Amino acid sequence: MSRNDDKQYRRSPEESGHDAVEPVSGIVAPVDRRRFMQLAGFAVGSAALAGCSRGVEHGVMPYLIRPEEVTPGKPYWYASVCGGCAAGCGILAKARDGRPIKLEGNADHPVSRGGLCAIGQASVLGLYDSRSLRAPLRGAVASDWETIDGKIGATLDEVRAGGGRVRFLTDSVTGPVEQERIGAFLSRFDDGKHVTYDPISVSAIVDAHRDTHNLDAIPGYRFERAEVIVSVGADFLGGWISPVEHTAAYRSGRRLDGPDWAFSHHVQLESRLSLTGSNADRRIAIPAGSDAPIIGHLAERIAGLAGSSTPWGTLPPCPLPDDTIAGLALRLWSAPRGRTLVLCGLNDPQVQVLVNYVNELLGNYGSTSTETTLDVESVSMQRRGNDAELHTLLEELDSGTIDALFVRGVNPLYDLPGGERLIDALTRVKLVVSFTDHPDETSMHAGFVCPEPHFLASWGDSEPIAGVVSVRQPTIRPIGSTRPLLESLAIWSGQPMSAYEIVRDYWRRNIFERRLNSATFEDFWNRTLHDGFARVRRVVPGGFGATTKLSGVAIMAPERWSAPANDRFALDLYPAPGLLDGRHAHNAWLYELPDPITKTVWDNFASISSLAAEAAGLVTGDVARIAAPDSRDGFVELPVLVQPGQDDATISISLGYGRLGTDRFADVGPKWLEGHPTIDAGETIGVSAAPLLRWVNRTLSFAGRHVQMEKTGLRHQLTTTQKHHTLEIPRRLSMSGETHRAIVQETDLAAWRADPHSGGHAHHDLATLWSEFPRQKHHWGLAIDLSACTGCSACVIACQAENNIPVVGKDEVQRVREMHWMRIDRYYSGDDADIDVVHMPMMCQHCDRAPCETVCPVQATVQSSEGLNQQVYNRCIGTRYCANNCPYKVRRFNWFDYPRDDRLQNLALNPDVTVRSRGVMEKCSLCVQRIQDAKADSKTTGRELQDGDIQPACVQSCPAGAIVFGDMNDEESRLSHLKHDPRHYTVLAELGVKPTVGYLTLVRNREET
Amino acid sequence: MNRKLTGVFANEREILAVTADCREQGYEIVDVYTPYPVHGIDRAMGLSPSRITFVCFALTLLGATLKLWFQTWTSAVSWPVNIGGKPLHSLPAFVPVTFEAAILCGALGTVLVLLIRSGLFPWSKPRLPAPGVTDDRFVLAIRQTNPDLPPDLAERLLRDHGAIEIREDRGEEES
Amino acid sequence: MSESSAALRPPLVDGNRRPGEVTQDISHSLEGRPSWLWWVGLGLSSSLLALGIAAVSYTLAKGIGTWGLNRTVGWGFDITNFVFWIGIGHAGTLISAVLFLFRQHWRTAVNRSAEAMTIFAVMCAGLFPLIHMGRPWLAYFVFPYPNFRGPLWINFRSALCWDVFAVATYFLVSLTFWYIGMVPDLATLRDRASSGLKHRLYSWLSLGWNGSARVWLRYETVYLLLAGLATPLVFSVHTIVSMDFATAILPGWHTTIFPPYFVAGAIFSGLAMVLTLMLVARKVMRLENYITARHVGSMCKLIIGTGGIVAMAYSTEFFIAWYSGNPYEQFVFMNRALGPFSWAYWTMVGCNVLTPQLFWFKKIRSNLVLVFILSIFINIGMWFERFVIIVTSLHRDFLPSSWNTYIPTKIEVATLLGSFGLFFTLFLLFCRFLPVISMSEIKGVLHHGRPHDGGGR
Repeated sequence: MSRNDDKQYRRSPEESGHDAVEPVSGIVAPVDRRRFMQLAGFAVGSAALAGCSRGVEHGVMPYLIRPEEVTPGKPYWYASVCGGCAAGCGILAKARDGRPIKLEGNADHPVSRGGLCAIGQASVLGLYDSRSLRAPLRGAVASDWETIDGKIGATLDEVRAGGGRVRFLTDSVTGPVEQERIGAFLSRFDDGKHVTYDPISVSAIVDAHRDTHNLDAIPGYRFERAEVIVSVGADFLGGWISPVEHTAAYRSGRRLDGPDWAFSHHVQLESRLSLTGSNADRRIAIPAGSDAPIIGHLAERIAGLAGSSTPWGTLPPCPLPDDTIAGLALRLWSAPRGRTLVLCGLNDPQVQVLVNYVNELLGNYGSTSTETTLDVESVSMQRRGNDAELHTLLEELDSGTIDALFVRGVNPLYDLPGGERLIDALTRVKLVVSFTDHPDETSMHAGFVCPEPHFLASWGDSEPIAGVVSVRQPTIRPIGSTRPLLESLAIWSGQPMSAYEIVRDYWRRNIFERRLNSATFEDFWNRTLHDGFARVRRVVPGGFGATTKLSGVAIMAPERWSAPANDRFALDLYPAPGLLDGRHAHNAWLYELPDPITKTVWDNFASISSLAAEAAGLVTGDVARIAAPDSRDGFVELPVLVQPGQDDATISISLGYGRLGTDRFADVGPKWLEGHPTIDAGETIGVSAAPLLRWVNRTLSFAGRHVQMEKTGLRHQLTTTQKHHTLEIPRRLSMSGETHRAIVQETDLAAWRADPHSGGHAHHDLATLWSEFPRQKHHWGLAIDLSACTGCSACVIACQAENNIPVVGKDEVQRVREMHWMRIDRYYSGDDADIDVVHMPMMCQHCDRAPCETVCPVQATVQSSEGLNQQVYNRCIGTRYCANNCPYKVRRFNWFDYPRDDRLQNLALNPDVTVRSRGVMEKCSLCVQRIQDAKADSKTTGRELQDGDIQPACVQSCPAGAIVFGDMNDEESRLSHLKHDPRHYTVLAELGVKPTVGYLTLVRNREET
Repeated sequence: MNRKLTGVFANEREILAVTADCREQGYEIVDVYTPYPVHGIDRAMGLSPSRITFVCFALTLLGATLKLWFQTWTSAVSWPVNIGGKPLHSLPAFVPVTFEAAILCGALGTVLVLLIRSGLFPWSKPRLPAPGVTDDRFVLAIRQTNPDLPPDLAERLLRDHGAIEIREDRGEEES
Repeated sequence: MSESSAALRPPLVDGNRRPGEVTQDISHSLEGRPSWLWWVGLGLSSSLLALGIAAVSYTLAKGIGTWGLNRTVGWGFDITNFVFWIGIGHAGTLISAVLFLFRQHWRTAVNRSAEAMTIFAVMCAGLFPLIHMGRPWLAYFVFPYPNFRGPLWINFRSALCWDVFAVATYFLVSLTFWYIGMVPDLATLRDRASSGLKHRLYSWLSLGWNGSARVWLRYETVYLLLAGLATPLVFSVHTIVSMDFATAILPGWHTTIFPPYFVAGAIFSGLAMVLTLMLVARKVMRLENYITARHVGSMCKLIIGTGGIVAMAYSTEFFIAWYSGNPYEQFVFMNRALGPFSWAYWTMVGCNVLTPQLFWFKKIRSNLVLVFILSIFINIGMWFERFVIIVTSLHRDFLPSSWNTYIPTKIEVATLLGSFGLFFTLFLLFCRFLPVISMSEIKGVLHHGRPHDGGGR
């Protein structure tokens, strides 16, 4: 049943040049040397890598002569590792005719478990980015590798001779081989040091665990085991450490399927309305930075309940009423030991130590085998940043004692505060080498830029979780004259090797001997490539091996926290949902992906509460100057957005925007008389909030800085895809006084247990005039579990990638013409203080009685014999009558011919899906191309279609498994069961359009509240 | 014996009277030409009402039937498609177009018949009995086929009714 | 005789004209030089037309994106203008056909130009469904022609498809009706025309007409039949146009009242437009003797009547929305009256419900300048009626998440102006080259030289 077996996983064709391999069991079509030779035949890579000499550089090309046994139009799947962030999700890359065109989560991989976030989905676009660097730069001018290597080599020799200081600055390197090679490279110098930092730093968690549990990593969070989750500002479903992994785990702890249902209670205390908060059962707004006293008081309470003495004197005052804390403490304590989880997002070691202390009291620490929520064996290696070391490096740079600096995966001049001072510092460094793939703030001041190929085009590996190793194998030959870090290091250390050899060599030496089963290296290697990962003996970082018990560490009361004065605000900086720390600032898909909460596109902003807005006389779109009084250059000017659920004393700004060179998106979208460019030349998309970052005793502090906000009088258009945010109609526009629209069915756990139908409406059977049309064999449908959907929007990008949906630019979105086939409606309810959020994925409902079909004069949209509502592009004349008559407004019209002139970018198009022309209506097709493909396969193989064989892009990508596709004619299908679930309902059923897409009532766990 | 007289008159009253008289006297009314439709002239000339009404009715029916059949055939027989779950043969939905087709067929058909029947074609040359007949003149054209009528009776009749001008032409251009 | 009948009723034509003078008066305006007013009018309207052509060409070149429409509001100015123009057309048919059936002889003075108005209005109307398509170059897809795709036919269940047939039929029948009615007059002009191009043209068009009583007899029967067919046609056309909305499921569209409501509205707006044009033509073409205060008076009365029906429809809609208990329906109407587009709604009510009431007063009815101004108000109001129905129903429908607004672009405004340009250009040309008033019919209702019983009825 696992999807591997019906997919033909491939080892990278680059292997072909190397030793023959025996067919690997589990692969449907045996992969033999011959096949590899053939694969090598097409544009994808080749034996050429040997000796690192690459042939003439070309873009990717289609076949000239079709290699036998390679069927054009038949996709090949490569198991690899996502490079979108450091989480290291396992992916399956779908390559068509030698081009990777779609990334999907590897169902068996322990991190991704089948899902893949929006960023991962979108990163395939980056591969075909025509603006990325194609050749090394010397200063700002293009150069060639020989010259570059010569210069760098010379300088390095000089430095080595002079015993100079060499620093290698990177983000978290999850690849063991890269970690090791960087170390080896540095070891050739007397004073070489590898400094790691994450622009969105969580190093305090590592620091704390180093102290408390002798663990030099982040413990594995087992959300699936938690019955009570209390998260203080940790956005673990959003941008925090490993969202896909957490989402999957979180959801498996909140299931309502069958008798063994489980549903954790999740309390979120946070200053902004985060994605995680929007899913919480209970949400409490707190001022940014006040996490410290809250954790402190919580710890005290729980210590009290545990009967253990609190090791500190008096605590600072708590911003929350006592009974709230008491309630939380009791809720945690009364839950089974080890089945609760307390998290904190604050990057402050002292507070994190307290958090560990609390979890310790609650008995949450344990090993993989124990049923506890914090795992110190299968720990997370996804964040390795160490702020203290970075701080030291900055000091060294200031003092000008660094001779050579290598910058990789980070962009200090952008990420860090006090940019100017850094620039001077850099100029004093003999050799600065950047490995960026786009010219960035730092590379501007680097002597050399050695661009690396996209992660889909280079060898590597990863160990996101201790004991889970994957090989990142290329799915395409690098575009342009780029060179992997591994090869560069090899050359500069004087022993050139291909990345492939380096990786294999490292695995043979280090990983292989950690294997759990007895196998030859080749088997082990092939099996890993095929599965996308392998489980090996855990090597937990940390001195003498981590303990599950709290070691004797001084638990101190958090230092006094001061609430901002009434004209001041507490600042809260968070990673942009799409761009993270800005590493995806060149990805148009992610800019146009609506922010899951605010639904904003193409901008960042300062979220403030309605109260604060009133006080300051600001409305959404007014540009405000937000300045830290305690520093000269610590200010930003950006538009405010009045956000429900925002803490009144907090301003939240997302990092990652305002990157250099984002004015490249000026020519995104159509150009016409009244159209405005998405961004004016020379400007940047959004504003960088890094100037407001600060160092608090050698750690980067993102929350709690006191700032003041003043009106500038300027305005900036903030564009959102949703204009009305509640299910309430304005009272004065209601005739009957009834203002609520029952689009979303909601209930709470208690009510659901009492009556599974609770929250539903009396469904009087709707009479019909007509007899049903026979559904020949299948009757496809969807069921979407509203209590599973977190609103992460992975599906939106998955759909965009799968169905060639164009990017239309800010102005077109402002005109409400975004083309996403799938949108996620976000509704608020309740008041600012206690706000509830609903995420409702909305796509074509494929009605059996589709109103759009009846009104089309030319039969351009009709019903298929399998219940699909089909849009016939080449028959459509574009009257838009169907869109008007669609009660769900899910149809999308091609208002213009959207620019498709970036030839390289076009390689990301899915050849199975038509690129729609101007004047044509389009909409969700339930990925009919996948349905047809699966049916064709079952025809050729003679194997009956199984439930789950077909997965539309949205279904496949959903980390929470919230969307289920299936055949309603098959009584045994998972879908049919869901359709009979008491929670199942269809939106606007009263219209009698009979949607085949249904929803499951949203349940919140509110027994005690 | 065949002589033809044309009398030109100045108004409706005279033409009605003279036409009636001439017919009573036994003259054959060749035709009456008027600048506008004179009511009662048909009675005076003894014409029977036009039968074109029936043609129109038939054509209207024809149009309706054909269109209804066509819609049913295309939607239910030639290429049946499931559209919004509606029945293939959605009679109520076919009514409007059927109606329009009926009107179109009836109207255009009738006009066509009129033009053909009265020989009204762009290329046909107008045969005017006298100038000004399309302006303000009323013309009566009679033929004497009965030899026993007094030879000067016709002129007298016309003159008595106030003919402005009388033309006689022996029927050589006839036959 | 004429005096006695004059005592019963004011004459249809002032200044006791004789047939010859009628011919003289009416043909004169075609044979003489056009007045400076005419030139001014033509200049204005043709420049508007040019603007419209530019706008439409730009739309065709760039795409519908050049309009203010969006994923929620798929129709805006385009269909509003379509329904508006179709409505204008209807009064023409009403006057020429319906009043003919009712033997309303006063219509003779205005029916010719009213029919012309119908034809030009339908031409303007037809333009919009064409250009509102995303791919107008494939417009022929809407016709059921045998093709190599199956043949793949069209969807006869779609109200848009009904539109195609209704509007096409309406245009063809009106055109025939108009032309057939003109043949005798064309003959008159032919016989007046000094030989040359004009003469040849007129003789072609007049089909060798020679006023034979036999032909007159048939001719009148056919004319009656056409009137008989045109009458149900005009009702069916706007009924079908209203079904574009009535057969949709959108609250505010999905109502059974639409057919009568739309027909009444159409005639209402059409009469206003006829008035506007008549009053202009009367001045420009010096036809004061033929288009008399009496005509204007009767038109005003008709407007009061139809306006009343429209007002009734407005209130009924609201009542039914409340009575139905359908929350979506209720919201749409509250939203019309008090929502973001309330200004449009109240403009509509003001122009269509209040303005006609002024016509109750004879003083206002007989003050032609005032009537002219009021008629324009009604035109505006009726345009807004369609705008309100289309946009306010669309912009806030079922799911609040897709609630949106609609702001027309310059291109759309230019296109609307252009359609007026087209309309008036055609009308002015018509005034110049074809008899604005049916001579043969006028002669038929003169008091001069009729038998006693024939007194002007």
